[in-house]
Amino acid sequence: MPSRDDALPKTTLSYFFREAIRRMWVSKRTSFVAVAMIAISLFIVGAFLLVAENLGRAVAQAGGKSRVNIYLDVDATPQQIAAVDAWLAAHHDFAGRRFVSKEVALARFRQYFANLSDVVGQLDENPFPASFECEIAPAVAQSPAFANVSSELRSIAGVDEVQYDWEWVEKLKKLINLVNIAGLAAGGLLAIAAAFTIANVIRLTMLLYREEIDIMRLVGATERMIRGPFLIEGVLQGFIGAAVSIALLLTAFLSGRHFLAPRNSLLWGFLFNGFLPWRKLLALIAGGMLAGFLGSWLSVRESGEERA
Amino acid sequence: MIHFYHVTKRFDQYSTALHDVTFHIEKGEFVFLTGASGAGKSTMLKLILRQMQPTDGQVVVNGRNLKAMKRSQLPFFRREIGMVFQDFKLIERMTVFENLSFILTVLGVPPREHKKRAYSALRAVSLHHKLNAYPLQLSGGEQQRIAIARALINDPLVIVADEPTGNLDPDLTQEIIQIFAEANLRGSTVLIATHDRELIEQSGRRVITLDHGRITDEKVAVPQRAPRAESIFGIGG
Repeated sequence: MPSRDDALPKTTLSYFFREAIRRMWVSKRTSFVAVAMIAISLFIVGAFLLVAENLGRAVAQAGGKSRVNIYLDVDATPQQIAAVDAWLAAHHDFAGRRFVSKEVALARFRQYFANLSDVVGQLDENPFPASFECEIAPAVAQSPAFANVSSELRSIAGVDEVQYDWEWVEKLKKLINLVNIAGLAAGGLLAIAAAFTIANVIRLTMLLYREEIDIMRLVGATERMIRGPFLIEGVLQGFIGAAVSIALLLTAFLSGRHFLAPRNSLLWGFLFNGFLPWRKLLALIAGGMLAGFLGSWLSVRESGEERA
Repeated sequence: MIHFYHVTKRFDQYSTALHDVTFHIEKGEFVFLTGASGAGKSTMLKLILRQMQPTDGQVVVNGRNLKAMKRSQLPFFRREIGMVFQDFKLIERMTVFENLSFILTVLGVPPREHKKRAYSALRAVSLHHKLNAYPLQLSGGEQQRIAIARALINDPLVIVADEPTGNLDPDLTQEIIQIFAEANLRGSTVLIATHDRELIEQSGRRVITLDHGRITDEKVAVPQRAPRAESIFGIGG
């Protein structure tokens, strides 16, 4: 007599996969729609993740050191510049200082914002101020005593503004959070839509195989045996959708880096710094498979309820 | 093995398929169920396979009260029954081999044994050369024999067949009944629904006759033409 062991033997699992792949092949068009929906959803999630990832890298690069930019008046005299330099030399916290002349500042702007360099060229004079860039230990920079030092610095003749980069780092961190939340929200909504698409595709497939399912029940197939291939079909659609979305994302990323990054603009440099780490890629694949599973589970559960 | 206790099956207030039917088929018996179309034969077989539940009464098969059986136990119960459906119920997109192999997968038989067992089951119905054909490429009679091979592939405890010789010529009918008789000899209880009067009369087996949902007769058939009966049932007891 047949074994009543309810555990899934290897042969049953291989049957699930064979059937799922065959059914997907038979219903190529509907399967394509499901895969495309998943791919689009995860592409959007992935794009947001990629932006957030690269902004995060920029923050991490800046995180180890704090920089203070001391902008001088546009018309600061050489004596005033020398006085500021002397003041900085006297304070050992500012030991790692570097002078950026007006010309260097202009050259940097032209490099980072290549598409705006023509605008600058039309101006009669160089609008960029000279500055001192000082690297300061983060603990020192954020200590209360440093606030007094910086206000003293502001009062020196020829100093226009003192800017700390940890301010924009904080702003960037907020932006990263926002991008992450927006990505997850948009992607989440689309993933739900994709899961429902998969649910409908599986429902259609189940309708197509209705007679066959009835026969399977009559010859003693368990519900798990009947539903297994449909669940695997959903998971496979999710997996393929996720794989396609990663391929599209990588293509977009490499194209962007190839065509946009050579322009050396600051923004593109940030955005195309690196691709998603493997953990996030795995998370995208897991997300796709989960959406597929939920979609197919929804359909097979409904079919069970109908039968009851 | 199969027991009906005061079974009534009513579809609606105007349509009652079975009225207070009681009968018993013991283990190892070979029984014919006969009656005109609409007499309730198919309903009875559906009740045995628990494709439907009785309105009143109890159906007990192999010691299981089907009314009390949990849904989760149903597949395992059905694996003990080899059912030959009147409309064959073969899966059209699968080849003959795949139709049989599927049953073996359901039963948890290792794939390496599928070919051997399918071939052997098909050989018993003389269709071993049709292993790779699709059901729709076969004649009605051939499809019926494939359905029989599928029902017998697992040496079930009970074989229930709904008009299994309906599409067969007399020679094939003889061959198929012999296959059922062999399965009966191996220990399977056999119940065949048919309205082939000649087949029943020559069988020498117990016959339950249904008419308008009621058992009107229950007797052992007396072979009228011994030579053919012997040729068909010669190996049976």
